[in-house]
Amino acid sequence: MSVFDGLKFRRVYSPIHNLDPRIKFLYVCAIFVAAIIFWELLPLAILFLIQVPFVILAGVQREWVRSMRGAAFLAIVIFLTNFIFSFIGAGYTNPAHYLEYASAMTLRFIVLIESFSVFFLTTSPDHLGLALEQTRIPYEFCFAFTTAVRFVPVLAEEAQTIMDAQKARGLELERGNFLKRIRNYIPILIPLIVSAIRRSLELAEAMESRAWGATKNRTNLYVLKMHRGDFVLIVITFLILAVAIYIHLFFRIPSLNELLGGLF
Amino acid sequence: MSIIETENLTYTYPSGTKPSIRDVSIKIDKGEFVLITGPSGCGKTTLCRCFNGLIPHFYQGELEGEITVAGLRISEQPIYEMAKHVGLVFQNPENQLFALSVEKDVAFGLENLGAPREEMRKRVDWALNLTGIYDLRERAPHELSGGQQQRVAIASVLAMQPEIIVLDEPTSFLDPLGAKRIFEVIYDLNRKLGITVVLVEHRLDLTARYANHIAIMDDGKIVLDGEPREILSSEQARLIGVGIPKPTRLYQILRKDRVNLSNTVPLSSDEMAAMLREALKSQ
Repeated sequence: MSVFDGLKFRRVYSPIHNLDPRIKFLYVCAIFVAAIIFWELLPLAILFLIQVPFVILAGVQREWVRSMRGAAFLAIVIFLTNFIFSFIGAGYTNPAHYLEYASAMTLRFIVLIESFSVFFLTTSPDHLGLALEQTRIPYEFCFAFTTAVRFVPVLAEEAQTIMDAQKARGLELERGNFLKRIRNYIPILIPLIVSAIRRSLELAEAMESRAWGATKNRTNLYVLKMHRGDFVLIVITFLILAVAIYIHLFFRIPSLNELLGGLF
Repeated sequence: MSIIETENLTYTYPSGTKPSIRDVSIKIDKGEFVLITGPSGCGKTTLCRCFNGLIPHFYQGELEGEITVAGLRISEQPIYEMAKHVGLVFQNPENQLFALSVEKDVAFGLENLGAPREEMRKRVDWALNLTGIYDLRERAPHELSGGQQQRVAIASVLAMQPEIIVLDEPTSFLDPLGAKRIFEVIYDLNRKLGITVVLVEHRLDLTARYANHIAIMDDGKIVLDGEPREILSSEQARLIGVGIPKPTRLYQILRKDRVNLSNTVPLSSDEMAAMLREALKSQ
């Protein structure tokens, strides 16, 4: 089940993985804001490049490249629609300008994807659940989140088993037109749902047996503590945000065309 | 002094038409290693669920008769109160672990009880060491083998330091070696810590030697209850279809053929071997 591969978090240790997920999320939000306020190619390119050291420090280059490749199709769609419609809207003049505009919009999308993928690639679901808990989100929700993540590989395996079993009985999944193919999956889905319900009952039983809901003041084995790295990231985050806003307000950013000086 | 005592316990599930257990009266003493066995569907699991209050609180349904566990009347206590005294380990190890790391799973019960962090740390490490999974503490449960997962499940109830541990066919998803290890861990807890163990199991070959009390159930009732050697060599146990340990069965056959063997019924192959050696020597 390659679809679920992305959700299987690999436990790695790196300075980025050890950062407090709350601070990392703040950083992602800052990048998000910065990417939204700029319409020009140049600052967006800088935002893109700023994040490369994070990826390298975390040692997740391969996964990162894969997620970027995943976004490529959507990026191309964004580029083409932006270019075609703005170019037509402008009455077929000044293609270089609109080419740059479309690239900037695409790059903005890529920057957003990039920052989110860095966040999810370097934050273990465990950490994320913990961060949720410590931001005072009701424990039931945090528990539902971590349990869902925990059971993704289990359910994926089960789906595979059911598929094999049904295929062994002569079910053909890859036959017929589009609608027929969707219908083919019903014999897979029903046993999967039934077994998931049964599983959830067993889980509830096990939770009850381990004193679920004994006290309102639930404690936690781990606590998130801020380390030096977290403070550094906070400083970097605010620096990026401050510089971005300052430049946006007080500078006129030259377009690539102007910089290259009338090449076109 | 009995730590679990039931009297004429009868229970029907909300969806059931006839009772799953009927008139069950059993006394389990503190520190005992009790083995409950019997054919599938005879009510073993239902009885286990009564021991920590899942029945009647979680399953509802109709419960008649009396049941006291660790001096508490089940019907008057919430499940989480019982969980401090009785640890329940289930059949499928996969469905009783929820966290993303072993350590966190073992801490789950203590977190629910609101134990302070230092205390929790100590007890989690203690439970991990006792079950021999300390090295796995940072792994994700789904990466572990069935046997390892079941040990995590045992550690996670152990961390709450219960007086009683009830295990409902804990090895039915495991291979023989994994099962053997689990039984050794359980026996250690019983012998070294004095925890009362109630083990529901079909594999008597591997477990009979540890027990000092066996109850055999059939069709919702307890039909035999007492000393393992006596019960396993009885004709009734064999007729119910309980998996009598092979050494015990061999002993019965040899005795029938009037081979001169001593009177203690063997429960393990070691005991049987010693007995045969003796018999051969005296000839």
